[in-house]
Amino acid sequence: MAEQPPTVMLAEPRAASVANLEGELSALWRSASEEPSTRDALTRSCALTLLVYVESEAEGREVNDLIGAVTAQNPCRVIILIGEPLGSPPGLSATVSAHCHLPEPGAKQVCCEQITLHARGTSVENIDNVTLPLIVSGLPVHLWWRAGRFAPPAHFDQILRVADHVMLDSARFPNPEADLRMLAARLETGVETLKITDLNWARITPWRELVAQCFDHPARRPFLDRLTDVRMAYEAESPRVLTQRSQAMLLTGWLASRLKWEFAERRVEGSAEFFVFRDGEREIRIEREARQFDGAGCGVCFTLDLRADGAAPATFTFSRGPDGAVVQTRAEVPGSGPVGRTVRLEVMDEVAILNEELKVVGRDHVYEEAVRMAARMVASA
Amino acid sequence: MADTSVLPNPLREGIRLHRTPEPCAMVIFGASGDLTKRKLIPALYYLYREHMLPAGLSVIGCARTPATDESFRKELSDAVRNFLHLGSESDAFVKSFGEGIFYITDNFSDQKAYDQLKLLLGRLDRERGTCGNRLFYLATPPSFFPVIVKHLGATGLAKPQVPGRSWTRIILEKPFGRSLATAQELNRVVTSVFDEEQVFRIDHYLGKETVQNLIVFRFANGIFEPFWNRRYIDHVQLAVAEELGVENRGSYYEEAGLVRDMIQNHVLQLLSLVAMEPPAAFEATAVRDEKAKVLKSIRPIPDDRVNDFTVRGQYAAGFVGGQKVPDYRSEPKVSATSATETYAALKLSIDNWRWADVPFYLRSGKRLPKRVSEISIQFRRVPHLLFQGAGGEGIEPNVLSLRIQPNEGISLKFCAKLPGTTMQIRPVQMEFRYGESFGAVPPTAYETLLLDCMLGDATLFNRDDAVEIAWKLMDPILERWQQDGAKGLAFYEAGTWGPAMADALIERDGRKWIRL
Ligand SMILES: NC(=O)c1ccc[n+]([C@@H]2O[C@H](COP(=O)([O-])OP(=O)(O)OC[C@H]3O[C@@H](n4cnc5c(N)ncnc54)[C@H](OP(=O)(O)O)[C@@H]3O)[C@@H](O)[C@H]2O)c1
Repeated sequence: MAEQPPTVMLAEPRAASVANLEGELSALWRSASEEPSTRDALTRSCALTLLVYVESEAEGREVNDLIGAVTAQNPCRVIILIGEPLGSPPGLSATVSAHCHLPEPGAKQVCCEQITLHARGTSVENIDNVTLPLIVSGLPVHLWWRAGRFAPPAHFDQILRVADHVMLDSARFPNPEADLRMLAARLETGVETLKITDLNWARITPWRELVAQCFDHPARRPFLDRLTDVRMAYEAESPRVLTQRSQAMLLTGWLASRLKWEFAERRVEGSAEFFVFRDGEREIRIEREARQFDGAGCGVCFTLDLRADGAAPATFTFSRGPDGAVVQTRAEVPGSGPVGRTVRLEVMDEVAILNEELKVVGRDHVYEEAVRMAARMVASA
Repeated sequence: MADTSVLPNPLREGIRLHRTPEPCAMVIFGASGDLTKRKLIPALYYLYREHMLPAGLSVIGCARTPATDESFRKELSDAVRNFLHLGSESDAFVKSFGEGIFYITDNFSDQKAYDQLKLLLGRLDRERGTCGNRLFYLATPPSFFPVIVKHLGATGLAKPQVPGRSWTRIILEKPFGRSLATAQELNRVVTSVFDEEQVFRIDHYLGKETVQNLIVFRFANGIFEPFWNRRYIDHVQLAVAEELGVENRGSYYEEAGLVRDMIQNHVLQLLSLVAMEPPAAFEATAVRDEKAKVLKSIRPIPDDRVNDFTVRGQYAAGFVGGQKVPDYRSEPKVSATSATETYAALKLSIDNWRWADVPFYLRSGKRLPKRVSEISIQFRRVPHLLFQGAGGEGIEPNVLSLRIQPNEGISLKFCAKLPGTTMQIRPVQMEFRYGESFGAVPPTAYETLLLDCMLGDATLFNRDDAVEIAWKLMDPILERWQQDGAKGLAFYEAGTWGPAMADALIERDGRKWIRL
């Protein structure tokens, strides 16, 4: 578990002519290889193209600060696209730079190139023309959609055509219900050939894993088919209330879709929502409530109770510890004492998640089904 | 109603991480030792922390030193903090890990301790849901393996508690025997109590990420396998070099020597992965069948010709890393007249269709100039020299190098024309480094191997037949050296690439050691 090596900028980003960006990059490398302090100590590395789309200069700067930690794990050419359709005066500008890090002492520094394109006003429509030639040939193309709902405008069509993978973040959805429904519709129509993944889904992966793990043992497996009640609470008063809300929707959507429950109805009472599902004869109720948490404000803030009623009742609970870094789990099943444990809850930051997402191969059908179920559950909201 | 307990867990689907093993109780014999603190517990903790272990996983330490559950937990959580360099790890979390740890004082030959162990295991099944699954880890000096195994058998702990529903496995640390006879005897004792499927012989080299990469490199790429044979390959070199001397393990090393410590296990394992035929699947039986098969094809060195195929050396005083270091015989707990080898070079041949007439040169030593493990495949020269007299002197054969450590990577040496109007040719290197393409930190060998064992995957563990074949190959060499004593032992200055005789071994065939 070595620390990630620090990443440094090779030089100050330099303004570049949009017409000759490859030439500008070559010039950057030439000057680095002539500079005595870096001569023979650098090597360029690239395993993919990472396009990042943001909608303001400030967000562009945020990404710029994060990206070094991404290139250290996933060497790539980064192209940051800042699209401000309402910006003025209209025009396109660009800068080139490089991030370097030392993989191990004594080795050469590994450097990755970055191009930042800033389009204002009507020039946003040229983004694809400028971007396409900069994509590294023969290597995968990932698009990080770091901007609100996923509704790419027409001038993104050509970029989406060459992209292999879009990473969006449902935590940034301004209206989780409507935006998830929109995403679900996109996935439903079957026209979507892109691999779409969601950073917010990755945030709840440790939770999915904990819940899944609880039923790995063959003796526990049958309880899944006898669940009757699910109660989940998520953080209400938080600056990240949208994040929490879409996470809660995804987690319940996941549970219901994995267990093939059929959605029947939804009812709202105050801050709580009640959902009814059916599985053959059995009725399953999910209660989802936003409430206050002690020590809230970081990580995924949930409690989750699963109950199987009937002849041999069992309960499985997962509750977030007050410091946000641990989860207490507890299982009570007939014929054995309660087994509990405290589990470290990994709170992954954006970069850590992105680094994982870049390794994903293939479409995530489980996610897609969870989105569709989550959308169905709020169809009337 | 259908038996749903045999169905897969629907919630697992699409979760990218590992399958979690079933809850189990892991019993470590020799739990007060160095290996437990330095490797096993940190690896377990890491797996636990990454949610790769199930709730209810319990650890029972057994060793001679008296201790209580409490003091043992404290000792292990200190070890976790020291060896994993945890900064502000949540106390609640370390504490929760500790709750699953227990201790039994045991000198390994007292039946009472095993009865106590049996009771505790039963209690953990009930209280922590370990479901009758047991993993015994023998981290003691090997002389204790037989007595522990016999007691486990006699106490009824060796067979699965609930047949078909629970498992019992045993991990044995190296060294596994010190000759064919002792390894066979140990195998006999172990398999008189456990079935071979229950036995996991650990060779931590096999748990290394790059060693597994070797398999991927060979069998996930279409372009190498067609060349991987006598038609294109001139010879293969395997080198495992260490900078370190024997440190404080003098008494162990005097008994073992380099061949037992390195070649019989690690280097021959590497060789078998490089040379084996493609297995039918990446699965324990298929992989281990192929490895055993290729080891069986290695031509035994006749006892009267040992010196023609091997060179052994011992380090004299010298400089390593700019520091003056003593000779081997002056190391602590080493005899002043010791004939133990700290360096060995071997030439082996594999008698099969793929490798006939392709020699494998192996070398390994302590106190060499640097720590490096590398496999080099040298290809045949071009059949006809086009460039004679016109810069053709620069032509060297292609070499494919697979570096295991450090700076894991792969490089290919090939020829290129020097820029200019004359035809001058020079070898150049095409390099791939794992560290440059994948920034993530791979798990350590023990993490990989412990998890595999709990999941019942024996692919990366040694099977009885492979261990015995490897000893059978080494026995004549070791016996001859034993008889010759110090006669025939070549000395080399610490910090150099071994004795000059080793160069002669390969140069006799018109070849050279690759510069590492
Ligand atoms: N250390 C490593 O890095 C490493 C690497 C590869 C393989 N190995 C192998 O792993 C095994 C253990 O290595 P280690 O370094 O941990 O050895 P160690 O530090 O010497 O520990 C050996 C353990 O055995 C116990 N023990 C020794 N004699 C005993 C006796 N007569 N009765 C009861 N207990 C006894 C010790 O208990 P007390 O201290 O309580 O007496 C201690 O817990 C060996 O087979 C070694 O070859 C070790």
